[in-house]
Amino acid sequence: MSDELKKRAAPETEKAQFEDEALEAIWEIAEQKKEVTFAELNDDLNDEQGVLNMVADGLINVKDGAVEFTDEGKRRARDITRRHRLAERLFADVLALTDYERDACRLEHAISPEVEEAICTLLGHPPTCPHGRPIPRGQCCKLYVKKVTPLVVSMMEAEVGAPYRVVFLRGPMIDRLASIGLVAGSDIKLQQKRPSFVLTIDETTIAIEEDVAKGIFVKKHETENGK
Amino acid sequence: MGPAAKEKRKEEAKGLKRVALIGNPNVGKSVIFGLLTGKYATVSNYPGTTVEVSFGNINLNGTRFVLVDTPGVNNLLPMSEDERVTRDILLSERPALVVQVGDAKNLKRTLVITIQLAEMGLPVVLDLNMEDEARDRGITIDKEALKRLLGADVVGTVAPEKKGVKELKNAILEDSKVPGFVIDYGPVMEEYAEKITALLPKTNISRRSLALMILAGDESLAGWLKSRLDGEKLEAIESFREECALKMGRPVGLHINEIRLKKASEITESVVKKTGEKEHRFIQLVSKISMHPLWGLPVLLLVLYGIYEFVGVFGAGTLVGLVEEKLFGEYLNPMFTKVIDLLVPVPLIRDLIVGEYGLVTMALTYAIGIILPITTTFFIAFAILEDSGYLPRLAIMSNRLFNIMGLSGKAVLPMVLGLGCGTMAVMTTRILEGKRDRLIATFLLALAIPCSAQLGVILGMLSSLSALAMAIWATCVMVVLLFSGWLAARILPGERGEFFLEIPPLRKPALANVAVKTAGRVTWYLKEAVPLFILGTFILFVLDKLALLKVIHKIASPVIVGLLALPEKATEAFIIGFLRRDYGAAGLFAMFQDGLLTPTQALVSLVTITLFIPCLASFFMIIKERGMKMALSMLAIITPVAIAFGALLNLALRSLNIAV
Repeated sequence: MSDELKKRAAPETEKAQFEDEALEAIWEIAEQKKEVTFAELNDDLNDEQGVLNMVADGLINVKDGAVEFTDEGKRRARDITRRHRLAERLFADVLALTDYERDACRLEHAISPEVEEAICTLLGHPPTCPHGRPIPRGQCCKLYVKKVTPLVVSMMEAEVGAPYRVVFLRGPMIDRLASIGLVAGSDIKLQQKRPSFVLTIDETTIAIEEDVAKGIFVKKHETENGK
Repeated sequence: MGPAAKEKRKEEAKGLKRVALIGNPNVGKSVIFGLLTGKYATVSNYPGTTVEVSFGNINLNGTRFVLVDTPGVNNLLPMSEDERVTRDILLSERPALVVQVGDAKNLKRTLVITIQLAEMGLPVVLDLNMEDEARDRGITIDKEALKRLLGADVVGTVAPEKKGVKELKNAILEDSKVPGFVIDYGPVMEEYAEKITALLPKTNISRRSLALMILAGDESLAGWLKSRLDGEKLEAIESFREECALKMGRPVGLHINEIRLKKASEITESVVKKTGEKEHRFIQLVSKISMHPLWGLPVLLLVLYGIYEFVGVFGAGTLVGLVEEKLFGEYLNPMFTKVIDLLVPVPLIRDLIVGEYGLVTMALTYAIGIILPITTTFFIAFAILEDSGYLPRLAIMSNRLFNIMGLSGKAVLPMVLGLGCGTMAVMTTRILEGKRDRLIATFLLALAIPCSAQLGVILGMLSSLSALAMAIWATCVMVVLLFSGWLAARILPGERGEFFLEIPPLRKPALANVAVKTAGRVTWYLKEAVPLFILGTFILFVLDKLALLKVIHKIASPVIVGLLALPEKATEAFIIGFLRRDYGAAGLFAMFQDGLLTPTQALVSLVTITLFIPCLASFFMIIKERGMKMALSMLAIITPVAIAFGALLNLALRSLNIAV
């Protein structure tokens, strides 16, 4: 791991976790353009000593009762917020969980930068978390501006007529889909989206509705030329 | 099991071998059945199902077999009712041979089933049908190589051209072996499969295959198991199943299917050569248009217009004119009347046969003279739609509309069939998934879908009224249809049936197929529906002779006259309409022609009778399919609704002073 990444690497100690949570909390309040007061922060986190330690470690400053980020602190807050919200997206969109808050909170501390970028790319560099709050951009997102589409999409966002390969399936009816040959790894082509989703696998064509289509995740064939 | 099956059971006891016909939906199984048995499979062949299991006798070189046609399946690990039915047939009937009909261009899917048949320990003859379509797409299969790999006979056919049927018959006669597949599902699966196998009773099909089904979570076997095993063993099996599911960590059924698919892929790749797509551009284009959200609509309208012209104008007009008016009207009925008058001294019997409600003059005339030509033309049109592959596309186009009524697009089949014969349509509601869908569809069929016999007369009457009248009638029926469906969907608990449709390629309908299917349905109609019409006429006859008809007349008149503002004579039409739908409409038509109805009255009566309760035959079918309670409830709801709506229309027309 490079020095840069080492710096960004998710810390695992209890103190570090506390700092992360605090920084994230400050970030959230700041997002709403509200001023973060020292008193408020102490109330929220219930650990005055911990907050004072953060000042000592150079992560935040307290000026006239208001809390501000240092450069270092801001960078870390940004990273942790990004990871938290990406984790939320992962749990909500791909795993279709509804009760994911706690796990997302845990995961944010455990993801390495490489994993973070992979998740971000997998999800297509989502701009917001499921609650609608913005996900801070990462390195991969900057590259995204040049790249056209995310790696894996659900059938809902797939292009009509382009060749895809199925990456994974979830949701209702995957048994019946399997029966006709639609499993992870099969080649699939989308014929139309309205009035129903019509797709072709080998020589079989089926029609399904949105609720099933949105559970079929595919990846574009990169190598084919005019197939 | 119905009486037909019991009959066949007896034949089996005489030592006849049973051959089961199995295959994916829409591979031409029922046509093969027809070619082998010379008999026509009953009713619906909607891409998806054969509604009933059919039996037929084959005689090959002196050896007789009983051939069993089964509902189409994609998997013998059942995921739908049809698949359960087929799996159960294999389980209980122990066929001596399975003829698996497959789609030549879809070998992989076909083999998934072959693998399961092999695991069950059943001898198989594989018939790859629709070879012409495979050829059109540049797909060729090395049948010899496949034979070797499977260890079973493989033939190729093009059913509508009768190609390959001789080879198929020969293959059936030969001693067939069980295909030699040994598939390893992984150490965990194999371990638990063994454990469960040891607990299962000896049975017709391999116990290991049953164990796999149980592990996959197949609940439909529960009943079968309960009747053969004690509680201890059942519990043991259940705990093994749970353990295995936990250890596997992912759905066992999915795992099994994936492994089978992989094996099928391997075999397919080694015997199939694809030489590039050669499917006709034109057909591809038409196929695209037929499902297109925008362009699909004109196609739909064109198809509907075609049906109207063929069934409505040609069938209901020309043919009926020939058969009913000429044949019966000018020849048969007068002849019969003369003969009966001479031979039969008792006036009562005379009346019974050739009187006003006579069996010949009314029942037969209408059954053969009016309904048969119309329903035959309808069935022909329907079979063409089916065979061409258009029906599922129709389901796609109408899915959204049907969703409003709480149904999935699949319901388009019974609903359209309902325009032909409501009785048959109610039977076909079996293909819908879920009790709720079936109930709503049946209700709507009974309420707002007029059958072809009725429709012919109604449209005739409307066209001699005015375009406005026709528009109002159509709108009223549509509104009631959509609104009732919508309301029913709100009231009835449960979810709409799933929408999952396989779309076959568009093809030119083969005359042979159309003939086979139509013949099957017409035969069904003659056997099942006509006797009920005769019964209905007989009831009318009795009512009339007992002067009860007049009593009913008296009771019903106030409603008819008061609420609907129709002349008293119209009551007869409604009463008769229950026993014979078309009678009702025809009665009104006669009144209209005789100048007894004003245009407004004609329109009101037509709308009311369209919505009115279904004919006796349909009613019996509803009892059979949905139960007596449901049938009576429907009756109780439909009668007031029809009359109330008619009254409302009457009020609207008069108060708004609309002249039709």
